[in-house]
Amino acid sequence: MAISREEICIKVRETLVDALGVDDDEVTDEATLMGDLGAESIDFLDIVFRLEKAFGIKIPREELFPPENLLNDAHYVENGKLTAEGLTKLKAQMPHVDFTEFSRDPDLNKLPDLFRVKSICDYIDSNVNAA
Amino acid sequence: MKFILLDKVLSIEVGRRIEAVKALSLAEEYLGDHFPSFPVLPGVLMIEGLLQTAAMLVRVTNDFRQSMIVLQEARNVKYKSFVKPGSLVRMEVQAKNIEEQSSSFFGASYVGDEPMVEGRLKLRHYNLAEENPKWSSVDARIIREMKQRAQLLGAC
Amino acid sequence: MRWIWIDKFVEFESGKRAAAIKNVSLAEEHLHDHFPGYPVMPQSLMIEAMAQTSGILVGEARHFQEKVILAKITKAVFHALARPGDQLRLEAEIENLTEEAAAINGTIRCGEKVIGEISLMFSHIDKNLAGMEFPEENFVFNEQFMSLLQFYLEDPESSVQSS
Repeated sequence: MAISREEICIKVRETLVDALGVDDDEVTDEATLMGDLGAESIDFLDIVFRLEKAFGIKIPREELFPPENLLNDAHYVENGKLTAEGLTKLKAQMPHVDFTEFSRDPDLNKLPDLFRVKSICDYIDSNVNAA
Repeated sequence: MKFILLDKVLSIEVGRRIEAVKALSLAEEYLGDHFPSFPVLPGVLMIEGLLQTAAMLVRVTNDFRQSMIVLQEARNVKYKSFVKPGSLVRMEVQAKNIEEQSSSFFGASYVGDEPMVEGRLKLRHYNLAEENPKWSSVDARIIREMKQRAQLLGAC
Repeated sequence: MRWIWIDKFVEFESGKRAAAIKNVSLAEEHLHDHFPGYPVMPQSLMIEAMAQTSGILVGEARHFQEKVILAKITKAVFHALARPGDQLRLEAEIENLTEEAAAINGTIRCGEKVIGEISLMFSHIDKNLAGMEFPEENFVFNEQFMSLLQFYLEDPESSVQSS
């Protein structure tokens, strides 16, 4: 059953308000999950639990949020930046995220900026409405 | 145990923010149970510390007009590390707003630079006499004690 | 003061839900500071009572193999105070349970009235909190907590749902 993009975004926003205790108006499309909304490891789990329930799908945590095992692996990270190998692996794990800008300077400190409310809506959209 | 979860107020900006310290000592009895081989400050007492610190800001801001200040709601309280005996927990509380009967805050605790807990709190404040005038003497007693405590802690 | 905030289990469905009782008594010293002349159970300790009820439920669901630690209070809302002589009933339900964490929803009732609603998340700390030092043995589920569940399971009057 197809759900409209708008309905998806409404549900995603509600989920984030419940999980992160933030106000409605803080959850804009462009808001970064870690920077603007203060989400952390335990919150990622909370958000995944709730989204799975709300949309009736299974969500592997590493598809939606920064993969901690990848970031802690010396193969994929060098001098605070992702190696080419690391970048490839990350892109494969999270096809719904646009890494173009990030690829030019894959500084780990910039990674959190990629995770925005919009990327969750995109992920749910592509999963729920997959043909 | 004396249910006082802050030991000293470091700074206070009426209506806006307050910073206080809780010193954790192995002499505090409940640590014997939490946990026997690994004594650490219980998470809910970290929250109680933030809440008592926020309540102190409310009392001073509202000129001790209300006796009862209790937790209405806590949201997104996240625990990041363990506080061990011998630590000084610095509690920083920022007011989002403080009205006569309610207030809301963002609070965070640190040991040194390391964050221990953070969360959002909403308090409600009132006098027992509002429900029943015969309780006004109890209100007066609570307020008197809280004024003394505020002085002792250096809040005013 | 003993750090035990529930008195006994009255229901226990392994992996699903549990209910426990907490009596509020003037014999509890801390009440006399909160507040002087008008003792009420601190809301933070009501949260702990729920954390202990649900922590044991979550721990038991994984055979007490994990060290279950309170990681997040998603939401705790209080509608009324608990006073000496009150008997609180804490009901907790597992919403989600994985290798890494658990989420629970709980209600606190005093008689018919719902006085608190609490949602918590627990972390299984061997799987998380890398780099932090803590004992190898399961210090969370010590004798005190285990005996609460033991008393319930051994009570001929309790209805035991097996796991």
